[in-house]
Amino acid sequence: MEQVIANGFYLGAQYALIALGLTLIFALMNVLNFAHGQMYVLGGFISYTVYGQLGLPFVVALLASGVTLAVIGALMEKFLFRTVIKRSLREESTMLLAAATAFFFDAVILLIFGEKQRGVPKIVKGVFNEGGIIMPYDRMVVGVLALVFIAAFVLYMQYSRVGRAMRALAQDRVAAQLMGVQVDRYSMIGFAMGAMLAGIVGGLLVTITGVNSGIGGPISIKAFMMVMIGGAGVVGGAIAGGFILGMMESVGLTVLREYGDVTYLVIFAALMVFLSIRPNGLMGKPWG
Amino acid sequence: MADLLEVSALTKRFGGLVAVNNISFSVREKEILSVIGPNGAGKSTLFKLIASFLRPTSGEVRLKGERISDQAPHIAARKGVVRTFQETTIFKNMSVRENVIIAHHLRSRASLLGFFLGTSAAKADEAAFGTSADEILVLLGLSSLAGETARNLPHGHLRALGIAIGLATNPSILLLDEPFAGMNHDETMRMVAMIRRLRELGLTILLVEHDMPAVMKISDRIVVLNFGQKIAEGTPAEIQNNDKVIEAYLGSEDEAIGL
Amino acid sequence: MTRSVKIASVAAFLAIVFIAVPVLISVSGRFDLYYTLTSVALLSIASAGVWLTFYIGRINIGQGAYALMGGYVSAILVVTHGWSFWPTLPAAGLSCAAASVLIGLPILRLRGVYFAMVTLVLTEVARLLALALPITNGAKGMVSIPLPGALSIFGLTIIPDFATLHNARLAFYLLAVALMVVCFAVVYRLVHSRVGKLCQSLQQNEELASSIGVNIAYLRVIAYAVSSFFGGVAGAIFAAISQSIYPSSFTVIDSVNFMLNCFLGGLGYVFGPMLGTLVLYFGWDLLFQTGRFQLLIYSTLMIVLMLFLPNGLLSLAATTRKKG
Repeated sequence: MEQVIANGFYLGAQYALIALGLTLIFALMNVLNFAHGQMYVLGGFISYTVYGQLGLPFVVALLASGVTLAVIGALMEKFLFRTVIKRSLREESTMLLAAATAFFFDAVILLIFGEKQRGVPKIVKGVFNEGGIIMPYDRMVVGVLALVFIAAFVLYMQYSRVGRAMRALAQDRVAAQLMGVQVDRYSMIGFAMGAMLAGIVGGLLVTITGVNSGIGGPISIKAFMMVMIGGAGVVGGAIAGGFILGMMESVGLTVLREYGDVTYLVIFAALMVFLSIRPNGLMGKPWG
Repeated sequence: MADLLEVSALTKRFGGLVAVNNISFSVREKEILSVIGPNGAGKSTLFKLIASFLRPTSGEVRLKGERISDQAPHIAARKGVVRTFQETTIFKNMSVRENVIIAHHLRSRASLLGFFLGTSAAKADEAAFGTSADEILVLLGLSSLAGETARNLPHGHLRALGIAIGLATNPSILLLDEPFAGMNHDETMRMVAMIRRLRELGLTILLVEHDMPAVMKISDRIVVLNFGQKIAEGTPAEIQNNDKVIEAYLGSEDEAIGL
Repeated sequence: MTRSVKIASVAAFLAIVFIAVPVLISVSGRFDLYYTLTSVALLSIASAGVWLTFYIGRINIGQGAYALMGGYVSAILVVTHGWSFWPTLPAAGLSCAAASVLIGLPILRLRGVYFAMVTLVLTEVARLLALALPITNGAKGMVSIPLPGALSIFGLTIIPDFATLHNARLAFYLLAVALMVVCFAVVYRLVHSRVGKLCQSLQQNEELASSIGVNIAYLRVIAYAVSSFFGGVAGAIFAAISQSIYPSSFTVIDSVNFMLNCFLGGLGYVFGPMLGTLVLYFGWDLLFQTGRFQLLIYSTLMIVLMLFLPNGLLSLAATTRKKG
């Protein structure tokens, strides 16, 4: 049991970090970023190249993943989403754009990195084994790092000037604009930060699970689920959703093992029942 | 005159907060009754309760003796209690005339399938709705804007369109949510005249409002709320001289209550 | 458009799909095009369903689930229960519609991205169910489904046995296109009747719609059921053509594509999904020659298209008409 909970925590920390990026972009721009999973994959491959291939320190690799994705996110906002939002009659059009960028990233990743599963050397060797919990040290490091990033993100959103501006923007775009918040600028920063978070998780997890070009879509779906559980556009909700999904997965894979591949079926079914009772998730604002 | 709408012991709690506390009053036929009160008095919640947009925690609303609380909004509308919206809530991508035509939904005799197949009943309905919509547009002074897309209407006309939509449902009682909000003196006077004309047509009107001078001018009777409770009920003259009401409004400027 | 122009364009369209295309194909000898065009017709039926849910203001990324379900219903009825293919077609549509009522009642209360995400998940649920249920034969799927047999009413053979046909491809093409015409006629009539206006009223403001007495929950479920019916029918024919159905026959990608077809054609135009499907499907096929750059070019074009025509291809026609 302790083992299951420890695994759940480890998974939850990763998931929460992914969901945070997605929910940030949603909160600021009302865009459901279909390409989030692909951004994660891209981050993974960049870390793979810098750390695994070039042999540079892991910190440099993680930095490279984060910065590259931040730049990509900023460019996407400035040149793609901003334009489409302005020109489109219905705001759902951004979903098509997001889906198209997801395909685009899939294509780029496939062309550059191929379709093989890629892994990197462990960042820390050895296994923790005490009190009934067995967990490799590298997982613990990655889990702790994820927690640090989550904390840093929350503190940044809470106390920095940029974070406050973004929160104002998320709450009421028009009011924020009237108060003198530069909407375009902070939308861009927000998009960049969301993408950066996806890239960082990709960089972190490549050391554990490796990366391959096909996992972008499934990661996006998981991220959507976490956001739905917690409530779209809410930081606390994304964190809660991440940990809940991580825990459910961990428990499900243990408890339901004998029934075959039904863990996700059960999770999905539970989610749909949950959402029909609480349409806005745990702490979401209405009108999604 | 008989009571058309009865509100009895209506209460609504949100968590620990009691937004509407044990309120009772009734609206008589062909009456204009206004509900007033300072900000946060529970007017808006009461309004939604009567229109069945919220379910009461306890108590009930009856129309002609028939209970309408705890029903979906469209059931309340079918029974004759129809609301307008405080914000400019309209079908913004339809033309003004289409807005009014679609609002004739409750008068349709044909079924959805009938409309899909274009049966003769459906055609008769459509023709009748068109004629009726044109009459309503004339009544509310919107004829010249019939073909305009609703989202392009100027502010004052939007509110008239909201009322036109309400009228199209052929209600027994029309609930108006702050019909004078954001209007200047001239616009307010025009709206007062319009509401009076509706009453002359046989409509009963319940309105929730901030604008004191207009309320004093238009209402037959007034219900005053404060902190979710009814503190007074009576004719405009009685309300103006009611100590509790003056106390509730103390701190706000005197002219706000029309003194 | 005047009435005569409308009738003329419908006649022209029918002449093209039922006469010109088969003639051109037999002249050119490109019989493979039948398969492509049949797919386009079927996919556009499913997309028309998605379009209808857009029309009531819901982003539906779950049509793959109903296409999959329709395929399985038809396959199971034919293979396991020995039904003829023809009655399985309405059976597939109706079971999808029934399922969508049960699923729709709770989830149609969700709006915006919540509904979009739940329907996306629904596609996954359908795939996992197909893997887990005993009657669907798991990952191995249902294979060797017999071709549609003869359909006769009162001893009169209306449709011959597909297995005896010299050219079953043509038969499938005609079947798919005929159904497509019927489905789009239904959507067109729906949209241009008062029912369409009611659907539009949901899209524009549900609160106001219910305040004027519209039973919004009922109308939403009806629209969603029609949408799912289309998905089920399309899926059933797909299973019949490929004579097989697997859990991976319709996946999240397909659901997303149905939605993209609608966007691309234009959400404001009934025939948007048909055009969108045609362009996306043929575009994808044409790009096959670019080999490994296929997806890259395809997605780049899609992005460019979004930047310059964010309201769909048909918005181009609409603006030029306005100007002209």
